[in-house]
Amino acid sequence: MAVSPTCHLKATRYLKWSWWHLVISQDELKWVHSAMKEKGKSVHFCFVMEKLLWSNKENADGKYISPFHDIPLFAGSKEDKEIPAKRSKTTGNEVLFNMVVEVPRWTNAKMEIATEEPLNPIKQDTKKGKPRYVANIFPHKGYIWNYGALPQTWEDPNHTDNITGCCGDNDPVDVCEIGSKVRSSGEIVQVKVLGVLALLDEGETDWKIIAIGVDDPEAQKIHDIDDVRKHKPGYLEATIDWFRCYKVPDGKPENQFAFNGEFKDKDFAVEIIKSTHEYWKALLHKKTDGGTVKCTNVLVSGSPFCCSEEEARSIVQSAPVPANGDSVCPEVDSWYFFPRDH
Amino acid sequence: MAGYSVEERAAPNSLEYRLFFKDAAGRYISPFHDIPLYADAGKNVFNMVVEVPRWTNAKMEIATKDPLNPIKQDVKKGKLRYVANVFPHKGYIWNYGAIPQTWEDPGHKDENTGCCGDNDPIDVCEIGSKVCSRGEVIKVKVLGTLALIDEGETDWKIIAINIEDPEAENYNDINDVRRMKPGYLEATVDWFRRYKVPDGKPENQFAFNGEFKDKDFAVNVIKSTHEHWKALIAKKTDGGEISCTNLTVSGSPFCCSQECAKATVDASWPALAATDKFMWLMSRTVLRRDLRSPQCSLERLVCTNSCYLLFHFLFQAPPCKAANPIPPEVDRWFYYQKN
Repeated sequence: MAVSPTCHLKATRYLKWSWWHLVISQDELKWVHSAMKEKGKSVHFCFVMEKLLWSNKENADGKYISPFHDIPLFAGSKEDKEIPAKRSKTTGNEVLFNMVVEVPRWTNAKMEIATEEPLNPIKQDTKKGKPRYVANIFPHKGYIWNYGALPQTWEDPNHTDNITGCCGDNDPVDVCEIGSKVRSSGEIVQVKVLGVLALLDEGETDWKIIAIGVDDPEAQKIHDIDDVRKHKPGYLEATIDWFRCYKVPDGKPENQFAFNGEFKDKDFAVEIIKSTHEYWKALLHKKTDGGTVKCTNVLVSGSPFCCSEEEARSIVQSAPVPANGDSVCPEVDSWYFFPRDH
Repeated sequence: MAGYSVEERAAPNSLEYRLFFKDAAGRYISPFHDIPLYADAGKNVFNMVVEVPRWTNAKMEIATKDPLNPIKQDVKKGKLRYVANVFPHKGYIWNYGAIPQTWEDPGHKDENTGCCGDNDPIDVCEIGSKVCSRGEVIKVKVLGTLALIDEGETDWKIIAINIEDPEAENYNDINDVRRMKPGYLEATVDWFRRYKVPDGKPENQFAFNGEFKDKDFAVNVIKSTHEHWKALIAKKTDGGEISCTNLTVSGSPFCCSQECAKATVDASWPALAATDKFMWLMSRTVLRRDLRSPQCSLERLVCTNSCYLLFHFLFQAPPCKAANPIPPEVDRWFYYQKN
């Protein structure tokens, strides 16, 4: 077949378009990046790459790890040599944390770190045997931030918090990342902490850290909870509204808060994180009974739960093979309305 | 259902993307002119063409100036247009679209708003639970209307609900919306007032102080825009650049044949044949396998990429229909204090 003259003009567009397409999926991005790293090429050569993606927790050397235990809490720490520490010019002395993104903003699937499964993969929560989706509480659509957890933290259920008067919810500390970008499930983001909300979710202490990715265009302007009020008016109020009402469509009552729903500042938040980090350390060194929490890890030296790379690999290989997703039920798109006293 | 279907050309989120419409018999039609206004005239049930699914941002619209009026993405300053997320809203907060066989005549000054029409079919905000698909033709009950003055032009927004919505029976007028979806009408006014502010435009105004008018008022507005359309399609009014090409309006001087319609569709970006899809998938599978191999390198990647492209050129195949990515800045949430 002859090639028409107009094909040449289309060719340039095709090249750019298909290059983009052929490396668009996250798995493909990861492979290309690993390949380029091997060759020592700079990352901006591939114009879609940002930083190393740790999907399903395989790190740069190819080891399977636990996102709960093996990702360092403090970004830029000695253990965190895999992730380039990205310091902005004005935040030289700000503490940065790693965050594991579970739920991208504006999605509904309730994805979470599986604390009771070895290597703690991210999985979808279930409700009555079916995959769980969070309701859309008008005016909100799904989750209104990138939602996830801080690794190496644990809200100990054996410990009654002296502020909230409630026990911990047996999970890592939750984070609401308020930057512009919609992140991906499993993404690891370096964040700075801005404040914290003390939710009492079904009677359990459930701190919600408010944070922003250091790579966000506005990160330079936002350092504390008051900056959030200034630059994103209404967002904190919407956050309280969301946590108060998000389980009402499931027939649960509205949630309560400590401190009358007031957000505490950055220093307070960092103290909460540090204390839940201590609970986690006690858990990993078997000083606390974790119950059904799986502490299997690959990198925590001195932990009695540390396992080898081979054991980690066999855990992953015993999981079902990757497949195309099922379609989502249309009921997930319903918008729930109820009158609120504002 | 009337059995309308759509045919896509080129990739979504591209300048070339077009969504053509076909009737139940598979003939190409215009969604502007060939889909009847009424689904059930006796019950005041209208047809609606969905342009923008709820919670999406791409500004899709019926191309009134293109023959057969396919749906395409609006373009601003040469770039694809995406509506901003104005906090607390995410994209469009209803299924948004148009009522066929209506036209807001720019030569006619509306007595309610004092402004001329915006030269488009009348807009609809469908408030049901389901997120509809782009190009879907649904039957709706009209509940009321909002008189937006968008950049100085009359731009009625009909509020309606899909008759297939599980709660549709309970909605018969605008007060039912107020009662059963508290906050939705206020959010609608807020959305239309502010949605262009991130683009540097001022807040929009409304007639009647932003008050929603009831069902009877809305049905009358629709009927008068239908009269304007009838005059347009019969060439009694000058439509300017509007394309009135149609397949089914008997007596219209713009009526054309199916052969002519097919030629129009084929002149745009060609559809991807089954064999092309297969070859694309094959080349992509080969590429994926290459990416995973230990010998993978950037050079090899580019080489394989080029081979796949060359293959496509030889067979005159266009790019596949997989959607282009949406630019990440579309996800930004805009905040500012309400007045």
